[in-house]
Amino acid sequence: MKKLFIFLASVFLCSMLIAPANAANKDTLVSASLATINSMDPAKAYDDSSATKLYNIYDTLVAFKESYTDQFVPRIATEIPTVKNGGISTDGKTYTFKIRKGVKFHNGADLTPEDVVYSFKRNLIADCEGGPMALLLEPLTGATGTRKDGKIISGIFEKIDKAVEAKNDTVVFHLAAPFPPLMGILTYTAGAIIDKDWSIKNGCWDGNIANAAKFNGPDTGKEPLHHITNGTGPYYKKKWEPGKEMILERFDDHWGAKPVYKTVRIKIITEWSTRKMMFLNGDVNDMEIPAQYYAEMEKEKGITLYKYPNLGVTCAMFTQDINMTANPYVGSGKLDGNGVPSNFFADRDVRLAFAHAIDYKAIINEVANGLGTVPANPIVDGLPYQKDTFHPQYDMEKVEKHLKKAFGGKLWKKGFKVTLFHNTGREIRRVAATMMAENIASLSPKFKIEVAAMDWGEYLTAIQQNRLPVFVVGWGADYPDPHNFAFPYLHSDGFYSKYIGYNNPEADRLIKLGIETAQIDKRREIYHKIQEIWAKDIPGVTVIQRLGAKGFTKGISGFHPNPMYQGTYSFFYHYK
Amino acid sequence: MPVFIARRLIFMVVVLFGVSILMFGILMTFSPERRAAAFIKSPQQVKEIPKLVKKYGLDQPFYIQYTRWIKEISQGNFGWSTVASSPTLDALKRYLPVTIEMNMFSLPIIIVLGIWLGTIAGIHRDTFIDHTTRIAAIIGWSLPTFLFALILLMFFYSQFQLFPPGIISDHIDDFISNNPEQFIQYTGMYTIDGILNWNFAVVWDALMHLVLPVATQVTVVIAILVRVMRSSILEEISKDYVITARAKGVDNHTINHKHVKKNALLPAITVAGWLVALSIEGSVAVEFIFNRAGLGLLLVNAATQLDIPVVLAISIFLGLIYVVVNLIIDILYAVIDPRIRLN
Repeated sequence: MKKLFIFLASVFLCSMLIAPANAANKDTLVSASLATINSMDPAKAYDDSSATKLYNIYDTLVAFKESYTDQFVPRIATEIPTVKNGGISTDGKTYTFKIRKGVKFHNGADLTPEDVVYSFKRNLIADCEGGPMALLLEPLTGATGTRKDGKIISGIFEKIDKAVEAKNDTVVFHLAAPFPPLMGILTYTAGAIIDKDWSIKNGCWDGNIANAAKFNGPDTGKEPLHHITNGTGPYYKKKWEPGKEMILERFDDHWGAKPVYKTVRIKIITEWSTRKMMFLNGDVNDMEIPAQYYAEMEKEKGITLYKYPNLGVTCAMFTQDINMTANPYVGSGKLDGNGVPSNFFADRDVRLAFAHAIDYKAIINEVANGLGTVPANPIVDGLPYQKDTFHPQYDMEKVEKHLKKAFGGKLWKKGFKVTLFHNTGREIRRVAATMMAENIASLSPKFKIEVAAMDWGEYLTAIQQNRLPVFVVGWGADYPDPHNFAFPYLHSDGFYSKYIGYNNPEADRLIKLGIETAQIDKRREIYHKIQEIWAKDIPGVTVIQRLGAKGFTKGISGFHPNPMYQGTYSFFYHYK
Repeated sequence: MPVFIARRLIFMVVVLFGVSILMFGILMTFSPERRAAAFIKSPQQVKEIPKLVKKYGLDQPFYIQYTRWIKEISQGNFGWSTVASSPTLDALKRYLPVTIEMNMFSLPIIIVLGIWLGTIAGIHRDTFIDHTTRIAAIIGWSLPTFLFALILLMFFYSQFQLFPPGIISDHIDDFISNNPEQFIQYTGMYTIDGILNWNFAVVWDALMHLVLPVATQVTVVIAILVRVMRSSILEEISKDYVITARAKGVDNHTINHKHVKKNALLPAITVAGWLVALSIEGSVAVEFIFNRAGLGLLLVNAATQLDIPVVLAISIFLGLIYVVVNLIIDILYAVIDPRIRLN
């Protein structure tokens, strides 16, 4: 026992002696990440964790300027095309980008306009399952995918081929129709510039459009650039151990300003307590702070915290045409006190009653720790043309008034039984659903409302099957344009509006007009009208626009909070 | 003996077949859409679900999907892991050494110390030593692993910057990745690879990262072995042959350590065997808190995110481990107790 004690004591002492060896290396920045990278292929990567790494390894034509979502800085392009400088045609259908000279890929090859053209065509042709390419396919070809029902859409590759071309030192995009958000989309990693020769050598599209079909929709994990990279970005990938860490090394031949940190080590640290201890000890220098921990981090010293709005919104959606087939969530399926009919939420008074039953302020202050605001409609703060419209406030008198009015008074007399949904692990969504249920049920014993949770996969599937009477769900921006929010929430073919059975021809018309209009004044007018439609129709109700939070070891500067990028995003080359 | 081993190995195939059918069957209770949802991350991608179902044939009958899977794994293709972002077998090869390395240190301590403490407690029944050991064992057993791990980490790492979480320090990791010819990674276990490469800085650093996880594991797991060994000693010590030996004047030390302990070992060996098998699953809490990307972490992530190839592969692998460990336990029985004949 004595020997064991002496051994342990000596281990303890020796370890104290070597401790200084672990002191932080000033050339190195350590960033904590929560999730595994899905793929390093720009045609597949469509999750925050993958995209943040790609942003540092690959260059795009343009990027957002600092904290702006409507101003851009050129990267591989040398200037931002506008109608004024002739970069954008007056009909808004042709974009010309002057390509930077003297740009080198990580393997030493020179970048040419031909590489840029190849990058877009290759990524569009690959159009991996679950990937981001629909974002670019829509403006460039008018289609939102290269396949329909598992079959390649006839003529789609020819359209892709014609959409992008190299002309002298420029690259020209020919759009199917004017598409004002294009610049925002071009900042995304779906438009990452890859090396043509290197890509072909590594199994990407061979450059012949007749062979495109062979390179379309590779299996998950089989996309050629899944784990190899060769960009022109400020960092190159030195090492990637999936599930553990990625090491980025400064690319000294990068065309732009030299990044301050030579090495960036991105570690996956799943457990918050461990992450926090490592951050406070200086072993992690950059990390996202989840909302629930922001308050406790504010008390700590030696760190710098940022909080900023994210372009995302959480809404409670009311299904106006519930799928009644073997649906246990609607009770008897009739307005007889033991269920709800398919068109229960088609009555505007019912929707308004549910919307007024949520205590929004309490959610922001008590659940989100103040890290959020209540937007008036899905076109949230930080998006162009945002307008404050009517938002139903928490008011139990109004809940009662609307319920008494609904279905000509029948609802109040008979009562109803229904289930409201949220997905597991999302506290704000759970609280919003529970508030609606408890507050409305408190008005009459005839109102029987249950709240249930589903896991993410099951939840999305049930939403798609129109089976959930009410569901609380979120949406994050793909690009900073109101179209990206108006379409999913208000267009009859939009992701959420379609599944709640919402159909307003005027909204459809305005959304189409909005995306095809280039003039700012006209667009403003259109999107203001669209927001008024939301306020009038109440297809759902906005619950919260979250604020993102990020923490740094004190002394690190150069971070520009941008609403497009949540706390998971890091542009390491900006850090000083 | 060889006949016995051969029979058990044939039995192993049956067990693995059973495990695979059972696991596959359970996973099939999830709808095709839910299994396809494992491939997507955001609402934007939901429209891909029906395509994914078709592409991977997730809506086909059980026997078709099962035979296709068997065909694939017989060719060494265990499928793609979305959680580990790599082929499933590669993921196992990366995660398994981390778990094995930790258990390589914790298990011998648990077994040797557990049997020793159990024996002492049993022999000195109702004395101070017995009570102390028992109370310590109960506290260890009842401690939530994650809590104990966190307390250790807060004390040593937060306060004194000692024993950091992770598997290896960044500067050592840099050295290894920058000098692949000077440091060859044979096993993926830094302590072993350090010795094989004759680089003791790596061994020392890896050990420093192992101190707290091993201490947690030992504290929490040892209790069960101590208690089994103690009760087994108590049972043996009251048997007739011990009374006879005492009557004949044999000294206590010989009785306790030569006869009683040896006979009392059988139940302890069974428990120790189970602990070995269990340890391969990895201690999820320890791996989470100390940020060690081991098999436990992989299994939990895979199970919660419905990464079916990984769940199936680990189930089969664990089935294999259990059968092999049981076989070894049976052989050890025969070695320790000559009365047991395997055939």
